Amino acid sequence: MPDIKRIKVGTASCGLAAGAAEVLDAFQRLSGSIPVVEVGCIGHCYAEPMVELELNDGTSIFYSSVKGDEKSVNAILGLTETGRFQVPAERAALEKLNVTRLSGSIDPKDIEEYKANGGFSSLKKAFELKPEGVIEAMKRSGLRGRGGAGFPTGNKWSFLAAKKADEKILIMNADEGDPGAFMDRSMMECVPFQVMEGMLIGAYATGATRIFIYCRAEYPLAIKHLNIAINELKKQGYDRLPGREKPLDIQIKEGAGAFVCGEETAMIASLEGKRGQPRFRPPFPTDSGWNTYPTAINNVETFANVPVVIADPDAFAALGSERSKGTKIFALAGDLKYPGLTEVPMGITLADIVYKIGGAEPGSVKAVQTGGPSGGCIPADKFDVKVDYDSLKELGAIMGSGGLIVIGNNRCMVETARYFLDFTHRESCGKCTFCRVGTTRMFETLENITAGKGKPEDIDFLVDIGNKIRKGSLCALGQTAPNPALSTIRYFRNEYEAHVKDGYCPTFQCAALSDVRLDPDKCVKCRLCIKTCPVQAIGDDFKVDNAKCTRCNTCMEVCPKKAISRVKKGDGFSSNLSK
Amino acid sequence: MGNEFSYLSEIGTEKGDLIKGLQLVQSREGYVSDDAIRAISKHFSIAEAEIEGVLTFYAQFKRTKPGKYKICVCDGTACHIKGSILIQDWLSSALGISDGQTTEDGIFSIETVACLGCCSLAPVMSVNGKVYGKLNRKSLLKILSDYRKMEE
Amino acid sequence: MADINFILDGKAVTAAPGETILSVATKNGIEIPTLCFNGKVSRTTACFVCIVKDRKTGRFLPSCSACPSEGQDVDASSEEVREMRRTALGLLLSEHTGDCEAPCTLACPAHASVEEYVRAGRQGNFRKALEIIKQRIPLPMSIGRVCPRFCEKDCRKNVTSKPVSINDFKRLAADLCYEDYMEELPPLKEQKVAIVGAGPAGLSAAYYLRRLGYASRIFERMPEAGGMLRYGIPEFRLPKATLRKELAHFAKMGIEIETGKELGKDFTIESLRKEYQAVIVTVGSWASSSMRIDGEELAQQGIKWLEGIASANWKNCANPGRTVVVGGGNTAMDCARTALRLGGDVTVVYRRTQKEMPAEQLEVLEAMEEGVKFEFLTAPLALRKNADGKLALACQKMELGAPDASGRRSPVPVPGSDFDIVCDTVIAAIGQRTVAPEEVNRDKRGNIVIGKDIRCAEGAVFAAGDCVTGPKTVVEAVAAGHNAADAAAAAMEGRSYEIPAIFNVSRGHWSSLEKSDLVFLREVSDADRVKPDYIPMEKRRTTFEELFPTIPAEKIEKEGERCIECSCTAKGECKLKKFSEQYCAAPDMFPGSKPLAAVDTRHPYIIHDRRKCIRCGICVKTCSEIVNRNLLAAMKRGFNTQVGTAFDQGLQSYCTDCGACVEACPVGALDWKKKD
Repeated sequence: MPDIKRIKVGTASCGLAAGAAEVLDAFQRLSGSIPVVEVGCIGHCYAEPMVELELNDGTSIFYSSVKGDEKSVNAILGLTETGRFQVPAERAALEKLNVTRLSGSIDPKDIEEYKANGGFSSLKKAFELKPEGVIEAMKRSGLRGRGGAGFPTGNKWSFLAAKKADEKILIMNADEGDPGAFMDRSMMECVPFQVMEGMLIGAYATGATRIFIYCRAEYPLAIKHLNIAINELKKQGYDRLPGREKPLDIQIKEGAGAFVCGEETAMIASLEGKRGQPRFRPPFPTDSGWNTYPTAINNVETFANVPVVIADPDAFAALGSERSKGTKIFALAGDLKYPGLTEVPMGITLADIVYKIGGAEPGSVKAVQTGGPSGGCIPADKFDVKVDYDSLKELGAIMGSGGLIVIGNNRCMVETARYFLDFTHRESCGKCTFCRVGTTRMFETLENITAGKGKPEDIDFLVDIGNKIRKGSLCALGQTAPNPALSTIRYFRNEYEAHVKDGYCPTFQCAALSDVRLDPDKCVKCRLCIKTCPVQAIGDDFKVDNAKCTRCNTCMEVCPKKAISRVKKGDGFSSNLSK
Repeated sequence: MGNEFSYLSEIGTEKGDLIKGLQLVQSREGYVSDDAIRAISKHFSIAEAEIEGVLTFYAQFKRTKPGKYKICVCDGTACHIKGSILIQDWLSSALGISDGQTTEDGIFSIETVACLGCCSLAPVMSVNGKVYGKLNRKSLLKILSDYRKMEE
Repeated sequence: MADINFILDGKAVTAAPGETILSVATKNGIEIPTLCFNGKVSRTTACFVCIVKDRKTGRFLPSCSACPSEGQDVDASSEEVREMRRTALGLLLSEHTGDCEAPCTLACPAHASVEEYVRAGRQGNFRKALEIIKQRIPLPMSIGRVCPRFCEKDCRKNVTSKPVSINDFKRLAADLCYEDYMEELPPLKEQKVAIVGAGPAGLSAAYYLRRLGYASRIFERMPEAGGMLRYGIPEFRLPKATLRKELAHFAKMGIEIETGKELGKDFTIESLRKEYQAVIVTVGSWASSSMRIDGEELAQQGIKWLEGIASANWKNCANPGRTVVVGGGNTAMDCARTALRLGGDVTVVYRRTQKEMPAEQLEVLEAMEEGVKFEFLTAPLALRKNADGKLALACQKMELGAPDASGRRSPVPVPGSDFDIVCDTVIAAIGQRTVAPEEVNRDKRGNIVIGKDIRCAEGAVFAAGDCVTGPKTVVEAVAAGHNAADAAAAAMEGRSYEIPAIFNVSRGHWSSLEKSDLVFLREVSDADRVKPDYIPMEKRRTTFEELFPTIPAEKIEKEGERCIECSCTAKGECKLKKFSEQYCAAPDMFPGSKPLAAVDTRHPYIIHDRRKCIRCGICVKTCSEIVNRNLLAAMKRGFNTQVGTAFDQGLQSYCTDCGACVEACPVGALDWKKKD
C-alpha cells in the first residue's frame, strides 16, 4: 500500500449517523503506518460514510457508503474499483465551492491544517484594510445575511461600528432552527476555524468587545469543534486584536430548544437569561441590544463567507445575480436522490438544483419548500425561477437559511402545510395575539381538513386569517408562519378542495381520507401482512378491512411484493359498507 | 440542599448565565427539580417563579426525571415526510408510553424533538445522543430490544 | 431633540421625542383601545389591539410601542384598522373562558340581575334586592308568583343538585318591602305617551317610561287593570288582592290608567297619535283559537271562561260538573284547576303525551296532585249534546309519528279507536289569537309585526307583549314593554333604537359541565333546595286560596347560600368585553380549543382564574416592577403560555395581599373573590 499518503474519514454528524465511527475505528486498526484523520462532510450526505484516500501523486480516491468490516476496509486499502465515488460531472459543473472549499477535506480540529490551506490570510488582510476598509469591502461585495432576511452585512456592521460604547456585542446566530436546514451545523463541524475567522474579522471591523455564539444544544459535535477552535485561537493569540488592550471575550451559549430564539431580539433575551421572547423594534439591537449594549447578529454561514469576501470582494460580487451576490449553500432534503449540501452561485435555477444536483426525477416532484416553516412552496412548473432573495419572494416563498425540501408527487400539500403550522404554532413564543392564537387556529383548521372534517369555507378562512397574522404579528416568526398554508393554497388549491369538497386526499396520504387496499394480482399469499397487522384488519381472504384498519402502514412495510397501498377513500374494502 | 448543587459555583452569577446554569443542572441530574430551582434561585438571586418561567419556555428543560435511555424522535421536515409519525406510534405501542413519558421501570423515555440535523438519513431518532437513521419498524424494534438486553 | 410632526387620521399632529403614537392619539382625542399597556409598567407589546397602520409602507404597528417618524401618515381609525383590532379581540376571546354574565340573568327574558338580587337576599338586604329586581322587572310581586322561572332552568346549580329557588327571592322582596318603597323618579318631561292595554307589557312600558321621565296614560278596555294577571291567571296562583297592591304602586308613581276604554270603539291609534308623542300597543292575545270540530259552539272558550270566573267572586260561580278541558298549555291547566276548585270532576284531553305538553311541568304535576285526570294521546273529533242535556265529546286515540317542523312528534290517529266522553262542560283551551287594528302591521296569524326598532306602524307607534308574540309569559311581556319604552323614549329624543345585543362569553350550559368546571368564590351551601309549604290538599282542591304562602326570609337567606355566583368578578370593568362590544368582536369568531389552564382559588381573598387570562403580562410586571415581589411569572410558551407561581404553590405563600395585580388586570383573571 505504498501509494496511499493519508486516509480521511468523514465524521461529521451525517457520517457518524451512517456509521462512520465504526469505519474510522476499522481504518485505524488496519491501516498500519498510514495516518488516518477525521474530516468533515463534502456535502454528499447520501453517500456517507465516506472515505478519501489521499495518494502520493497528489490525487484522491473517494469511496462512498463504506462499511466498517475488515473485508471492506482491506479492499479499500487495496484500492478496489468497487464503491468508488465521483461527483457527477453535471453537478460539478453547476457547483461553485467557495465557502465550502475546505469542508470535508481538512481536519476540522487542526488549526495548522487550516492555516496551511490559506486560513487566516483574510484576517491578516483585514488588519491591513483597517476597520473602515473591511466594512467598505463588505459593502462592495454585496454580501447579504445568510440567515434569512438578507440584510446587507456591511451595512449592519457599519451601524455597530459607528456606535460608541464601553462594550459592543457581536453574536453568531448558530441556532439553526429550520427543520430541513443543516448548512450551519456542517460549517461549524467541518470548518470551525473558517467560521471563527469570519467572526474575528467582524469583531475587528465593528469594534465588538464581546462575542456570543448562540448554538443549538442539538449540535453537540459543532459545539465541540467550536470549543476546540476557540481554545486554539486563544492559545495562539488570535483573540488579541490589533489596537485593543483586552482580548476578545468569546463565549459559546447553548440554546435550549426554542425556534423563536433565531429572531434577534428573542436571541438577545435568551442570552440575558430570560424567556426567549421577541420585543418590538425599534430600538434595534445595534442601538440597544444585549444588556442595552450595541449588538449585531450574524448567521454562521454569513461569517463563513466573510474570509472569502475579504480575500477578494470584487470576485465575490462578480458571482451571483444582480441583487444577490456570491454563492449560497443549500441543504437538500426530501424526495430526491442525493440529499445533502450543495454550494452554488446565487441566481442558478431551482430546476438545476433539484434535478441536476439533487438528482430528483423530473415528473416525480410537485414542489419545493424553501425557507422551512417560514417559507413557502414553489410548484414544479415554476422551477425555472432564479434562486435569489428577490425572485423567491415574488413567488410567495423566501430564501430563508437555504433549506430546500423536495416534495414528491405522493405528498399531500395540505398535510405539508399542517405539518409546518404544527411546528410554528408550537414554537410561537406566546406573546402576541395574532401569532399565539392565530397560528393555533390555522393549525386546528388544517388538522381538521386532513382529518376529513374540513368545510369548504375553511380555505378562505385560512387565507383571511393568514394574511392578518402576517400583518399583525410582532416578529418574523408570526409574520411568516402562515406562508406554508398561503403558498400551498395559492398553488395547490385543488388539493385543498378535494379534501373539503370531495372528501378525499388526492395523494392518499391523509389517513382519514384514504383507504388501504391489497392488490390480489401482486399478492403471493405469504401471510406476512396478516401476521403483523396489529388490529387484525386483514382477513384470510387477503382483504384489508378499512373499517378496522388504523392506517398504520405496517402491512405496507412488511409486504415483500408491495401489493398493499393506499387508495382513494371508498375504493378499499370495508366491512361496514358491505353490510 | 446546599451541597447537592454546589457545582453551580462552576459558573458565574450573572443573570445571562441562567440558562447555562439550568443546562448544567439538567446535564447532572437529568432534569430540573424543585430543589434545583431553589438552589439556582439563590445562586443567581433570581426569583423562583421567574426561573420556572424561563425554564418552561425552553423545550430542552425537563421538570420530571427522564428514563435511563432517552429516546428522541426527530420530527423535522425530512423525517416527518418519511414517516416519523409512524416511528412515534411504533415506539409508543412497543413501550406503552407516549411522548414526554417515562416507562414505569425508568428505563426508557420518549421525546419528540424538532430536528436532529441528519435529514439525509430520515427518519431518525437518537438514544442518549446516539443517532439511528433510516429507521423502519424492524430496525426500531431491534434497537429497543438491544437496549433491553443490556439491562438484563 | 426636536418634536416630530406627523399625520394621524388625516390631521397634522406633533409628538415629543420618544412619545408613542398611542400617547399622541390620546392627547388628540382619538381613542385607541389597548389591553396590555397601562402606562404603569414597562410595555410588553402583546395584545396588538392598539394596532394602527402606516399608510405609506402599508405596515401595521402596535401604537403602544411605536413612536412616530417625521412625516409618517398614520391611520388609527379606518375600517381596515378596525377589522384588524376586531380580529385581535376575536382571537383573544377564542382562548378566553368565563362567564361575563351569570346564566340565570341571560336566561331571564327581562335580563334581571339575578345573581345580584339573590346575593342581596342572602345578605338579608331585601330592599336592595327589590331595587335591583325593579331595574328589569316592574311587577315583582306578580311575577314572583307566576313566573315559569326561565332562570332556574339554566341555573348552574343543576350540575350538582336542584337550581336555586330564584323566583322566591322576588316574591319575598316585593312582599316585604313594597309598602314603603319608592323609586327615585326624575322630573317629568313635556312629552306624553299613550299605551293601549294595562296588561304586563303596557304596565311595564308605562313604568320604565316614568323612570325615564315620561308620563303616560294607559287605556284599558276591562273594568280593572292587570290584563292577563287580572283576568287570565286564577286567584289561587295570583290573588287579586296581591295584584291590587302591586298596581297601587303604579298609581303612586303617577301612572294614569283609564279603564273601560276600548281601542276601535272609544279611540283609534290615529286619534291617540294626534294627542300623544308616542303610542305603544299592548292589547294582548285574547281571542280563543278554534278546535275546528263540529259542535264547537257547545264548548266554553278557555280564556273567556277564566275571564268570567275572574270577573266574579268564585264563591258565586256554578259547579261545572263533569268537565273536559281540551289542550295542553298553561291556560288549559288554569282552566282545569279552576274547574276542579269549583267542584268539577276534571279530565284534560291532550293530543300528545305529557312530555310534549307546552304547559309548565310544575303546573301539570300540581294539577295531577290536586286530582285532575289526563287523557293523553287523545284528540277531539266532534261535540254534540245528548237528549239528556249532557255533552258528548267524541274522541280518537293518537300515536306519535315523525317530528314536525317544531321538532315535536306529530300525533297520528289510531284507526278504529273512537270513543265518547260524556260530560257537562267542555272547555277548549288550545291557544289564543291576537286581534289587532288594521292601523298596524300584522302577520297572517293576526299578530302585530314590529321592526328591530319596535315600531309597528308609521311614526312613533310601537307594540309589545302577547299581541306581537302570541301568548307568552308575563316576564316576556314585561321585557318587551321595557324595550318599547326605551324605543319610544329614543324616538321622542330623536335617537335611533335597536334592542341592545348582549355580549357574553360563557363556560357553557350546565348540562355540558361537571362539578370540576364550576368556580367557587366562597363556601357554597350544598343544602337541598328550599321547599314551599303548600296549603293542605283539601284546601287546594276546594278553595281559591293561594297555593303556598311566601317563603320566609330566614329560609330565603339560607337558599341564597346555595348560589354559586357564576358571573365574572370583573363584570362592568372588563376591558376585553368593553372593546369587543365597541368593535363587534364575538366569542365565536374563531372556534377552536382553549388553552389548558386551572383556576386557583387557594388564596383567601384573590382568585386567579387562568382561563380568563389574555396573557397581557401586566400582572407579572406589576408584581415585579411595582410591588417588587416577583411572585408571578409567565410559564410555558405559545398557546399554553400562562401566568403562574413557583412550583404552582399559588399566591398565598409570600403574597402581601396588596391587590396591585388585581387592580391592574384588564379582565377578570386576577380579582378579588368578594363580590360587591
